[in-house]
Amino acid sequence: MTDLMTPQAPQWWKRPDVKKTAILWVICTAVIGYIGVEFHVRNIVSPASETMSSIISLIRIFTWAASPVAGLVAAICITVLTSKRHYGDNPPPEADHQIRTSTKATALWVSISGLLCLFALIGGLIVLQHDNEGVLDANAIQVKVTGQQWVWNFDYANGARSEDLYLPVNKPVVFHITSVDVKHSFWIVQMGVKMDANPGYVTELAVTPDKIGIFDVRCAELCGLLHAYMQTKVHVVSQADYDAWLSNHAAIEKGA
Amino acid sequence: MTTVMSKSVSAPGKSIIEKLNVFTAVALGAISAIVVWRLSLAFLPQDADSALIFSREDKITLLSMCAWFVGFMTGIGALVGPFRWLMGKDLSHEENMFLAGKDMGPKRYFRYTTDHKVVGIQYLFITILIFFLGGTLAMLIRTNLGTPEGGWLHAQAYNSIVGTHGILMIVGTIIMVTGPFGNFIMPIMIGARDMAFPRLNALSFWLIVAAAIPLLWGQFIGGITTGWSAYNPLASQAPLGMDGYIMYICIFAISTMVAGANITTTVVKMRAKGMTWNRTPIFIYGTVASVALALPAFPVFFLSQVLSAFDRALGTSFYNTKLGGSGWLYENLFWLMGHPEVYVILIPSLAALMEMAPVFTRRPLFSFNVAIMGIAGISGLSVLVWAHHMYISGWAPLLNAPFMLTTELISIPTGMLFLVLIGTLWRGRLWMTMPLMSIFALLWNFMIGGITGIYLSDVPADGFLHGSMYVTAHFHYTLMGAGLTGALASLVYWFPKMTGRMFDKTLSWISFWMVQIGFNVAFVGMFMVGLAGQPRRVESYAPTFNTANMVTTAGAYIIMIGMLVLLYGVISSARSGVKAPKNPWQAKTLEWTVDYPIPLENFDVLPTVTSDPYGYGKAQS
Repeated sequence: MTDLMTPQAPQWWKRPDVKKTAILWVICTAVIGYIGVEFHVRNIVSPASETMSSIISLIRIFTWAASPVAGLVAAICITVLTSKRHYGDNPPPEADHQIRTSTKATALWVSISGLLCLFALIGGLIVLQHDNEGVLDANAIQVKVTGQQWVWNFDYANGARSEDLYLPVNKPVVFHITSVDVKHSFWIVQMGVKMDANPGYVTELAVTPDKIGIFDVRCAELCGLLHAYMQTKVHVVSQADYDAWLSNHAAIEKGA
Repeated sequence: MTTVMSKSVSAPGKSIIEKLNVFTAVALGAISAIVVWRLSLAFLPQDADSALIFSREDKITLLSMCAWFVGFMTGIGALVGPFRWLMGKDLSHEENMFLAGKDMGPKRYFRYTTDHKVVGIQYLFITILIFFLGGTLAMLIRTNLGTPEGGWLHAQAYNSIVGTHGILMIVGTIIMVTGPFGNFIMPIMIGARDMAFPRLNALSFWLIVAAAIPLLWGQFIGGITTGWSAYNPLASQAPLGMDGYIMYICIFAISTMVAGANITTTVVKMRAKGMTWNRTPIFIYGTVASVALALPAFPVFFLSQVLSAFDRALGTSFYNTKLGGSGWLYENLFWLMGHPEVYVILIPSLAALMEMAPVFTRRPLFSFNVAIMGIAGISGLSVLVWAHHMYISGWAPLLNAPFMLTTELISIPTGMLFLVLIGTLWRGRLWMTMPLMSIFALLWNFMIGGITGIYLSDVPADGFLHGSMYVTAHFHYTLMGAGLTGALASLVYWFPKMTGRMFDKTLSWISFWMVQIGFNVAFVGMFMVGLAGQPRRVESYAPTFNTANMVTTAGAYIIMIGMLVLLYGVISSARSGVKAPKNPWQAKTLEWTVDYPIPLENFDVLPTVTSDPYGYGKAQS
């Protein structure tokens, strides 16, 4: 913190190490924020639902919010490391001050971290609220998801059953998830949603796919020998294709 | 009271405690296990048709492991004291001196020795052994993940290696600072002659040795195929190796509770005259916070595994939904331990680096009070955050928001510890040593671990990230990047006091840079595959993840070489390093006021403390 200065130096902001730290702070904040955001955005899967898009924005916002703190720590470390280094087997001369505390610095630091904490909490709550409302949507398609070692089964309202998941685009879906043996975790990767499949319980999860394509479903909870292979595809198609697939598939199911 | 005295102390009729050592312990343990195994094989009734599979085998395995445990602890001499006391005649002075390892040289390291310095070295040895085994398993995992299609390990072997690596490293990191340094250094640092309960101290160490065998045993009867978290109901259908895990945890939990009670009592009751709470070094606070946090956490862990054993062997249904139990009960019990436990690991490492910061910057510790507030705040909040591991378990969605609040609140006390460290570095005179650079490494790694922790604490983002490699990378950044870095710095810092020789400087630097660079390469790669959607604990993955997995594997090999260099450094410096002066770092804590070799009871005259140990820097005039 910049105001850890001795009382006899009234113009503490004119000290060279303070100036250096201030400049470094700006640079480090920009660099850390930019690299942090780019690292996440470039590596993260491309979103196939609004939920996933809002997760990416959350990560982007949180990274920028955290970068001034990380930037300050980095700036201070660089300033310190580039001055007054001492090598050798004997200790360096004592530092030329005995500062033990600074109420101002502490108060500032704690209030800033408190505010950032509050900010992160509010950001999370807004998105959470939005996600939770999805489960209550009356127009949503209902799909039953059953995990078992080591496959996923999907049951649709009209009696169709499949091992690949089919969903219409831009229509909310509510999954009713359960398991017949051990815990699994139903993860639609590109839609950014996940819910455990617990034996004996039904859990609910809502999402609205907003992109046509084929996406991944993986099990995200160690479930035994072939956990790594417990994955399938989700086909997000247009409403017309979905209806056609559904009636066709239900007919096959009944015929068999 | 020096260690060079005549050897003719032992009376002609050798007392039973003089005959017991680790060899008698292993022999008695093995005999008991075999006898009980044969007996239970012969007499245990067959299972009813309705019983779960393996139920009888589980009973036999658990009984044999219990027999090993009792036999080993009897054979090492843990029961001699209590038995004598029960008979109304306590140990004689000579016997107590023998137990303390007086005049025994290297032999005392193989016995139930009560001297805290011996226990500290024993802990150091077993910590290194655990890291060696856990690290070898990590290399097997990373080698197997070098190719997307699984590779040369069978899926069951792979799952077992993942679980064993996890639990070994968790135990290793729990004991890595409070074990060696909390036992060897801490009593001297507070100016005490020994721990408050020396026999409990020996007990806590030998319990860890006793626990190791069931874990090893488990590897040969199916392995620990559930990951270290051993979730039920997966654990109830896992092979017999699971019983090894259960016994290991139960015995280790007892060890941790015993050590926790002992260290806490020692610090509260045995500080030197004049060492008020304001003059107590910050490392002591860190050690006490860590073990005191383990006191509520580990009984829960113990309990969760006892119930798991009941479900497996006796057909109870604590975690079996079909019979009225719930897997969520296990998750709750497990994480009630699991989250305080990460701070059990982290706090002493952070505190050790805070102890070193003033020494290597030659200025006072910045904001001692804030440091204590930070440690206390983390400890308090850490017992209120466990369900953030269960956001997506479906257990109680309405509790997600409150647990998000408590989790994010932890960033405030954690930030305080950052403030203390950077405040201490600011305007210091840097003495460029490996422990000093470890402070910078910790700040770097813990910053990354902390910020990624904010994404994970956020319920919607966790919906994507949970159970992915991103989580694995995150907790390695906190436990290894921050925790282990502090432990390695402690090793170099206190090495002169523990062995009388300086740690080789060149080797410490080589190892430091290899471990830190390898670490950051490895786990940045792991963040990448996590973001791209690779789940944890998989033995094969989609080919698109291959490049980043190769990066991680390459990083892991660099860490391995760095750690081997460190191991070589420990051995060569302890054997033939430069003889250390009494106070090589010119530090002001009490452990640097005693000569090497440190006499049996540390101080001829107990010291009196008149100030805190941070009086560095030139006074302003």
